[in-house]
Amino acid sequence: MIEMLAPYALMLVIAAVPTGIWRAGAVVLSRSISSQSLVFEWVRFVATALLAGVVAKLLANPSGALALAPDWGRLGAVVAAFAAFMAFRRSVFAGVLTGETILILSVYFTQP
Amino acid sequence: MSSITPSSDDEIAGNHWGAAFDGIKDALRLPAWVVAAALIGVGPLAQAVGHPIGAAMASTVFVWAGPAQVLFYGGLGAGMAYPALAFVIGLSSMRFLPMTMTIMQMLRRPKQSILTQFAIAHFVTVTVWAECLRRLPDMREVDRVPYFFGFGITCLVLSTFTTAFGYVLAGAVPTHFAAGLLFLTPVFFTCSICAGARDMPDWLAIGMGAVLEPLALHVAGPEFDLLVTGLVGGTVAFMIKMNRRRTTGTLR
Repeated sequence: MIEMLAPYALMLVIAAVPTGIWRAGAVVLSRSISSQSLVFEWVRFVATALLAGVVAKLLANPSGALALAPDWGRLGAVVAAFAAFMAFRRSVFAGVLTGETILILSVYFTQP
Repeated sequence: MSSITPSSDDEIAGNHWGAAFDGIKDALRLPAWVVAAALIGVGPLAQAVGHPIGAAMASTVFVWAGPAQVLFYGGLGAGMAYPALAFVIGLSSMRFLPMTMTIMQMLRRPKQSILTQFAIAHFVTVTVWAECLRRLPDMREVDRVPYFFGFGITCLVLSTFTTAFGYVLAGAVPTHFAAGLLFLTPVFFTCSICAGARDMPDWLAIGMGAVLEPLALHVAGPEFDLLVTGLVGGTVAFMIKMNRRRTTGTLR
């Protein structure tokens, strides 16, 4: 019985709690700040820059099967995704579709 | 978007469901499918370390953060010590602090209980954050919370099923498609953040984040690079925004 529950307990303690504390912490912090406060505007910029950093990190240090894509494939795919996104009047769908197509082709044609 | 036309502002009870339904509809239009597809990749990782399918699904429900789940199962597979793994996951999830704060600013209401707010916070992910940041400001305040829950719950439920799907499918996906699934997160992050950009400082924050990360990795190391990137890039963009506002203010 205990062994059966171990994967669940590990997941909760090692993954869910370290992730959840940031969400819960944000709730507690927000309660003491006025909605009109400039803090929220600053925080939004921090989140935006941080997320762009997450993308750069995922592309520069890919894990698993994504690491099999050539560097030009990953960079080219995200640049093409952005170009398509802008070209089609900020269409997220066009961006994702274009990026995915280029990335999948880059792996398909470089893998032996 | 919100297509509800209330006959009177007092009919709040009826509007709850209308707004929640709009959230479900908007999520199913694309965002929920993208998160769900990105979480297919968590299934095979859980299967590889010998965890049951139920635990993989539960990780989507309770962790609800793709990169953290990938780190968790990847780290277990690599034999990382538990405390070190928890620490790395905690650092990787730091983005939820600023993200959740921006969502709370838009969703909190007078007399809202802290439990409701914790529930709201649980559904915050990049997809939900980026889409709601764009859509919530145009909505009436009473509609925002039900819309958000409709949107968030749809994404989470769909993703829980695709996590199971990935678990069952493990190893059967050709390499180029497996790479494509892992690429969904960065490409969708890119498009959703850009979709929310309204003015020059917004674009600056995005550009600086992308450019600063490799530098920060070099200077601050793999644990704190994203923290440095966010703080430096975000603060510079914020200061420029404030400066522009002041300048236009004096011109008036």
